[in-house]
Amino acid sequence: MMKKQSLTKTMNPGVHFLINNAVPIIFIILVAFAIPITGLSGKYFIRELTTRISRNSFLILALLIPIMAGMGMNFGIVLGAMAGQIGLIFITDWRIIGLPAMLLAMLISTPIAILLGYFAGIVLNRAKGREMVTGFMLAFFMNGIYQLVVLYGMGNIIPISNSSILLPRGYGIRNAISLVSIRQVLDKFIPLKIGGILIPVGTLLVIATLCIFIVWFKKTKLGQDMRTVGQDNDVARTSGINVERTRILSIVISTVLACYGQIIFLQNIGNMNTYGGHRQVGVFAIAALLVGGATVAKANISNVFIGVILFHTMFVVSPRAGKELMGQAQLGEYFRVFVSYGVIAFSLALYAWRKRIEKENKRKKAMALKRGILVK
Amino acid sequence: MRKRIIIRTTLIVVLILIGIFLYTVGKEHKVLIDNRDISVGDITYSADTTYKVWVDNQEIGVIEKGGKKMARVKGISHKIVVEEIKDNVLTGEEYEKRFKLKTNESATVNLPAMINDKNEWIDKIN
Repeated sequence: MMKKQSLTKTMNPGVHFLINNAVPIIFIILVAFAIPITGLSGKYFIRELTTRISRNSFLILALLIPIMAGMGMNFGIVLGAMAGQIGLIFITDWRIIGLPAMLLAMLISTPIAILLGYFAGIVLNRAKGREMVTGFMLAFFMNGIYQLVVLYGMGNIIPISNSSILLPRGYGIRNAISLVSIRQVLDKFIPLKIGGILIPVGTLLVIATLCIFIVWFKKTKLGQDMRTVGQDNDVARTSGINVERTRILSIVISTVLACYGQIIFLQNIGNMNTYGGHRQVGVFAIAALLVGGATVAKANISNVFIGVILFHTMFVVSPRAGKELMGQAQLGEYFRVFVSYGVIAFSLALYAWRKRIEKENKRKKAMALKRGILVK
Repeated sequence: MRKRIIIRTTLIVVLILIGIFLYTVGKEHKVLIDNRDISVGDITYSADTTYKVWVDNQEIGVIEKGGKKMARVKGISHKIVVEEIKDNVLTGEEYEKRFKLKTNESATVNLPAMINDKNEWIDKIN
């Protein structure tokens, strides 16, 4: 214990900076090492990265508000993704196409996302201090209900008339749904090509709008309340803030944003894995945010973009680097998975370690103060 | 309290209306374009020309005598433009018609009837 205390006391600013930014630094080194090995052309690399930034940023931005409210990484964004997918199933069934289809999918899925977010908020309020693991398990639980509804309810209880999305038995949705009717409608809404690379202006504008919304939201009364709740529940309560309601609202907002994020993500891909598309959404978004230098307690917009660039650069370069280094692209993929998720575990452990030391120091300070008072 | 209920109800109504609007403008319709003989009353209009067809400014392609093609369009109001082809060359002779489709309607357009400006040029099916 003595050793740990002395470690933090003697920590110089350089070491402090390194520990605080360990994850992005590791990723920058990895990426800097991997890019030259791959031999990928700059054009290919920029095209891939542009697509991935536009595809994933909205989902990652959806994580910021619960962090602000002190609820950690919202693994419950999977619930929002499920709501988004339900909206997409309906617009495919009704044969709605183009941008109106995408907007209608958002409109249909919003009440579902609000309901799911409200439910998640209530559950997370009962598991204060363990929100992340609870959110993770909640996503598994809701996945079961989602599968029940989509696999047995749709076509049976919920009318579905489009035979191309129904299973041959007459009820239940097929494993994969083609979203060709809305493929890249937002990306190509304002067509712009620079040097042969399609710039998804529409999506980038939506992402920019969300960034502005988050900046504005932080300054509102509700945003300030969330920050207070995030810092200390008891202080917030004594200031007259309805802590439980504020926490529920943060999860509802995050779930609704995740729902839109999933729709934006899938319009870019152009097809949907009905039963698996939403499952990894939370892990990928959280991984990217942590890679961007965020912690469980603190994240901002810059973390989102640094994270999405670094994390997805690894996606682009690792198969090729694996092939160049070891002759097999799959090995590069294994390496990426190992490093990416290892780094996440490292980041969470680092956060827990820092938190423990902070707590210990606080306790010791309080003890010293108490002793001082007693001596006096 | 009452004001809040009114605002929320209004918001829900507005959202439902937006939903209906999006459904209407985004609904996909199939339009079958048919270049075959058609009989209107006692008169038969024969398909003896090849046409190039555009629906809502989207090129559908060349439809030869006796041929047919399908266009997928969205929304209510549509425009079909056909241009005659003779000896594999566009003649510049264009015919244009506008039509409207309700949400669950699809249509079959007969080119010879359309060129001759007959009411039977379009057959709407629910």
